[in-house]
Amino acid sequence: MENVVELNNVTKNFKGFSIKNMDLQVKQGFVTGFIGANGAGKSTAIKMMMKLLQPDSGEVKLFGLDYQTHEKVIKEHIGFVYDGNVFYEGLNLKDIKRIVGPAYKRWDDTLFYQYIEQFELPLNKAIKTFSKGMQMKASLAIALSHHAELIIMDEPTAGLDPIFRRELLDLLQELMIDGNRTIFFSTHITTDLDRISDYIAFIQNGELIFNQSIHDVAENYALVKGGMDLLDRDTEKAFVHVHRAPTGFEALTDNIKEVKNIFGESVVIEQASLENIMYYSKGRKSYV
Amino acid sequence: MFNLIRRDVILQKKMLLTYLPFILFFVMMDSHPAMTFLIASIFIPFNAFAYDEKAETNILLNSLPYTRVEIIASRYIGAIVYMVVAIGLASLSLYAFSQPFSMMDIAIGNSLFLLFAAFTFPLFYIIKPGHIFSVVLISFLLLAAVGPQVVIFLAEHLTVITNFIASFSVPALYTGAAVIVMTLYAISWIVTTIIYQKKAF
Repeated sequence: MENVVELNNVTKNFKGFSIKNMDLQVKQGFVTGFIGANGAGKSTAIKMMMKLLQPDSGEVKLFGLDYQTHEKVIKEHIGFVYDGNVFYEGLNLKDIKRIVGPAYKRWDDTLFYQYIEQFELPLNKAIKTFSKGMQMKASLAIALSHHAELIIMDEPTAGLDPIFRRELLDLLQELMIDGNRTIFFSTHITTDLDRISDYIAFIQNGELIFNQSIHDVAENYALVKGGMDLLDRDTEKAFVHVHRAPTGFEALTDNIKEVKNIFGESVVIEQASLENIMYYSKGRKSYV
Repeated sequence: MFNLIRRDVILQKKMLLTYLPFILFFVMMDSHPAMTFLIASIFIPFNAFAYDEKAETNILLNSLPYTRVEIIASRYIGAIVYMVVAIGLASLSLYAFSQPFSMMDIAIGNSLFLLFAAFTFPLFYIIKPGHIFSVVLISFLLLAAVGPQVVIFLAEHLTVITNFIASFSVPALYTGAAVIVMTLYAISWIVTTIIYQKKAF
């Protein structure tokens, strides 16, 4: 089994927003970062993976299994972390553990207390008194204490200070030493991804633009800068989007070879950061 | 499943400290024993909904290895479990204050509870969070205020119905009532399960 998560031809319609015929695979044993602007459909896709939402059509498979017949087995192997706190905020961690722990067959109390100690979390204080970072750590401790093979996180780094963000990323990296584990997390802070992601899935307006290894993304996309005189209707076709300024243009291409063919040495080709890719893709022509 | 039912006790730990005084209050107020049984049964299951109406709770429960069928089943089975506990506690309290009560009071109180639960449980999954508690409270007060009047009115003016009911023997009447209550509870269970399975969080 190579893909831990498979969305096949999934469609979900809302008022004014829809995910259309999305195919998304998450590879086993890797960290996949899920990027996209606010409202691009990241949370919707994650909710479909967790069966919090059901697609209008298409199939969602986890570990090669169907939710219809294997819901409990699937969820048994997932650790989840959501953007906001989903635990009863009036309870302390000990009581939350009493509620969540027995739900899992493979819940490991020793491991849980180990994470509590590592994250320096108080056991007897109500969750609502926790800071955003502490709530995040608490969710993570719970998500990690039942030997989950797949960790799904929706915006885990949002609202965290830079120091804890780094700690979190380091921790995720540590978790990956166990080669069976897969991490799938959404974010709009693209710098998080450079550090730990193996694959990047980019979603925009409910459409998956690409799902490639970070290496391929770096190879396929580039930022091109040059004089305005080089642009015309034909040469523009080589670009995803062009930003024009009096001093020259700056454009994103997903076809570096063609750009080199057309412009040769007359333009500057730079590596495009994920942020550049996200920014320029906003105005992209739709794909055929 | 058992864990889901046990969850209500963990959640309401502090609230439970007020549970016994709450029952005792009704005992000492000399309210009808059937009423005491009804109130005692309502306490835990309906408090639980106050926690569960939050969207976050449903996201949590649905992300854990439970199916939606189980989550709803835990509600309906839990209500019966806590009802049995309530019967025990209320009986003890009544006994301690040497208030007479009969099996009849238990039967009436708990039939009313099951009936009330059957009608309100689905509402918790239909009405928007935040409004539920007021809806249930108002419907309970309305039922308590208007219900007996309606029954008396029907009894006085619709002799056809009362004659029809009176034509049954007492045991048949009680069995019939029990069957109707249980059927309604079962239907409510099925309806809630269907509603819940279609929900998005």
